[in-house]
Amino acid sequence: MTIGKDDVLHVAKLAELKVADHEVGPLVHQLNGIVDFVAQLASADIPEGTPEFTVGPAQVTLRADVVAPVPLNRSPERMAPDWQDGFYVVPRLSHQEGES
Amino acid sequence: MSAVRNISTAVLSGRTTARRVTEHTEHLLRRADQRGLNAALDWSPEYLSREATRITRDAVRGSRDAMPLAGVPVAVKDNLATLDLPTTCASRILDGYISPFEATAVTRLRAAGAFVACKANMDEFAMGSSTEWSAFGRVQHPDFPDRVPGGSSGGSAALVAAGVTPVALGSETGGSVRQPASFCGVVGVKPTYGRVSRYGLVAFGSSLDCISVFGEKVDDAARLLSIISGHDPLDATSADLPPLALPAPRTDLKGITLGLPDEYFPADLHPGVKAALDQAIAQAKSLGATIKRVSLPHARYSVPTYYIVNPAEAAANLARFDGVRYGKRDGGSQVDLRGLYRATRGTGFGPEVRRRILIGTYVLSAGYADQYYHQAMKMRTLITRDFTDAFGGGVDLLLTPTTPTPAFKAGDKTDDPVAMYLADIFVAGASLAGLPALSLPVGRSEGLPIGMQLIAPAFAEAKMLAAAAAFEGVLDPRREVR
Repeated sequence: MTIGKDDVLHVAKLAELKVADHEVGPLVHQLNGIVDFVAQLASADIPEGTPEFTVGPAQVTLRADVVAPVPLNRSPERMAPDWQDGFYVVPRLSHQEGES
Repeated sequence: MSAVRNISTAVLSGRTTARRVTEHTEHLLRRADQRGLNAALDWSPEYLSREATRITRDAVRGSRDAMPLAGVPVAVKDNLATLDLPTTCASRILDGYISPFEATAVTRLRAAGAFVACKANMDEFAMGSSTEWSAFGRVQHPDFPDRVPGGSSGGSAALVAAGVTPVALGSETGGSVRQPASFCGVVGVKPTYGRVSRYGLVAFGSSLDCISVFGEKVDDAARLLSIISGHDPLDATSADLPPLALPAPRTDLKGITLGLPDEYFPADLHPGVKAALDQAIAQAKSLGATIKRVSLPHARYSVPTYYIVNPAEAAANLARFDGVRYGKRDGGSQVDLRGLYRATRGTGFGPEVRRRILIGTYVLSAGYADQYYHQAMKMRTLITRDFTDAFGGGVDLLLTPTTPTPAFKAGDKTDDPVAMYLADIFVAGASLAGLPALSLPVGRSEGLPIGMQLIAPAFAEAKMLAAAAAFEGVLDPRREVR
């Protein structure tokens, strides 16, 4: 088994995703199934020096570098879950684990 | 005459009115809701009425040439931003969210005289192959209610197959239009990466995402694609090309060499799929095509490569949904910002999205990125070279099955993510290589639609669509093949 309970909890923390205790077991099983499946790439014959794929047109067409108003049809205030005096309201950011 | 051309001609000539079309669309949407199709999410009679007024006004002011889609109803997948209807990506985390901007593709359709009939149900954030992962309930197959319509654009496919709208917008990351088109028996076209602006398409896998189209017929899909394609300054990855010109219609395949990749015709291919493809290949020969067997030696790595690249990009893109600036917020009682993030994302995302975020984070995390992500990106180069070599060897188009089986039963694969992923086995390759591809209905097996896939070189959509139209002229998609 490649992925254990601690791995699931670790990546869930990295991904800022709350995982309930009862979900951990099934996730360990499912994620191992997926990782075992994709791991077949490890045995693939990839010649030395094969470049990584890049996508899109060879030359990206950039817009003029000028500041323009953001064309929003609705104000951020109307979309925000909590808003006050021109600011998004969120709880405080406490110290992370391991920090003093 | 195709449905799109029929409607626009009737509206512009005065044989019908945009209002009659919107009222009829409302009737069809209501009927689809009543039968439990669950393919349409948001739509409203008031909005349809406003659109009828807008189209009527524009048709009076404008010229016929400016409105090639006058009065054409379009179902729009719910991951495409619309100003007047919510854009939820079929996720609780965006429940009720109304975008402050509009997708370029939607803007272009409306400017051409079309209207958004409804937002179409989908797998949450386009992650899935059956439209069972929608937070708002699964979509039924239009002909077989106990089966799936495919996914992730299953709502769009089902609406076209059920005759609610003649065309629809979907999106492809790894086959999410071709696969449901095959399952539902309609035409689904994925353009070359960069052919259509991604502005306003909620990002999932940014190196893969393509707004794509469904139609009852090839001509319907081609007309939609020609309107939404072309460079857009709002998307730096959109190719600096004019809109796609409608292909010249052809009724034969003389001078066309079709490549049949050995890897796409395995010995255990579903017998109904095999019979339908055999029949299509025989017709291709009778239409004058040259058939050539080819090999895409890295094809077997397409799905594992895709399911590394895709979750990696998804994990990064979906980091923006955190309950702070828009969308659902959970954990309001949390005293810590990270607790707010985790509670919002933990309850807002459904099971498949959570799995992909976790896998994507894992394959990108320290110690694993080389083993998984970078290996996959090198394999993506080899998969792309296989296609380049095939086309360089004298093949104009590749011909394959779209899916290994017809539509499967609901619930068959929801407990086994890998089994679900393998439904994409024939469609993932073109997505990884950024190539245009389409699915054309070519027959039925025990009543279930079977799709044939054509894959073309980059930006050769016109050739691909013209060939598909020639097939369409000789193949009856409702005919039982065994």
